[in-house]
Amino acid sequence: MKKSKISHLNEWVQLYTDDLYSWAKYKLSDVELAKDLVQDTFVTAVEKYEGFKAESSPKTWLFSILNHKIIDYYRKKVKQPISKDIESFSGFFEKNGDWLENRKPKNWQLDEREKHLLDDINFQKVLKKCLDSLPEKWGTCVKLKYLAAKNGEQICQELDISPSNFWQIVYRAKLQLRDCVEKNWFNS
Amino acid sequence: MKKLMHLLFLSCLKATELIEKKFHIPLSIKENLQLKIHKLMCDACSAYEKQSTILEKGIELHHKKQFDNQDIEQVKKQIISKLKQTGNY
Repeated sequence: MKKSKISHLNEWVQLYTDDLYSWAKYKLSDVELAKDLVQDTFVTAVEKYEGFKAESSPKTWLFSILNHKIIDYYRKKVKQPISKDIESFSGFFEKNGDWLENRKPKNWQLDEREKHLLDDINFQKVLKKCLDSLPEKWGTCVKLKYLAAKNGEQICQELDISPSNFWQIVYRAKLQLRDCVEKNWFNS
Repeated sequence: MKKLMHLLFLSCLKATELIEKKFHIPLSIKENLQLKIHKLMCDACSAYEKQSTILEKGIELHHKKQFDNQDIEQVKKQIISKLKQTGNY
């Protein structure tokens, strides 16, 4: 007797949630979002169940649904206009390209502490706070760089933005991030 | 004079841009040389490079840390209950 749709789906949830979830976490670097998209993946699977060809593997099918959702998510994120971003970018330099005096990187006087800086819980907190305070799209691009086995060009293709646009966003994000960390950590 | 220096050995704006670019794509010989000389003359950009390298590692670490071990059974239960809410199930 043929298995029903419900028992199939239940079985798939048991078998594949683990892999789908790990993958989504890795790609999104956001636990809650990963959970949501995996959930959506199964919802879509229920809706499209009739279109699933039994000869292909359910795991591959579920992964392709999930990957579509992940790419969609990033696409929407990155497609927002960036005109506002440019203003805050110019806020670091004079017209001639020199550092503005109050934005100039200061010596962090780390010396020996440098090796252990990243282990410092308080520093991690400051970094996280500063990452979270980046405009959403910038944060997305900064995170995107750490996707597994992806180079810049592939990311740009997936997101449908030009490489120079992508690097400019990452660059601006880093300027802002550094400034934020300096102001919140080293001056406190 | 300053304009010429910027032209030959980059402005700070351009230098920091190259510093960021260097994390991901190798620079050309010319760019590398220009950046090196710029850093020799500019403490702020030298500091920037050091600090940006630390941040780069920090972001990566932060990224990896999110792989906490959440209870996968809980996630499965949530999915099943969500599926039950949809009409097609």
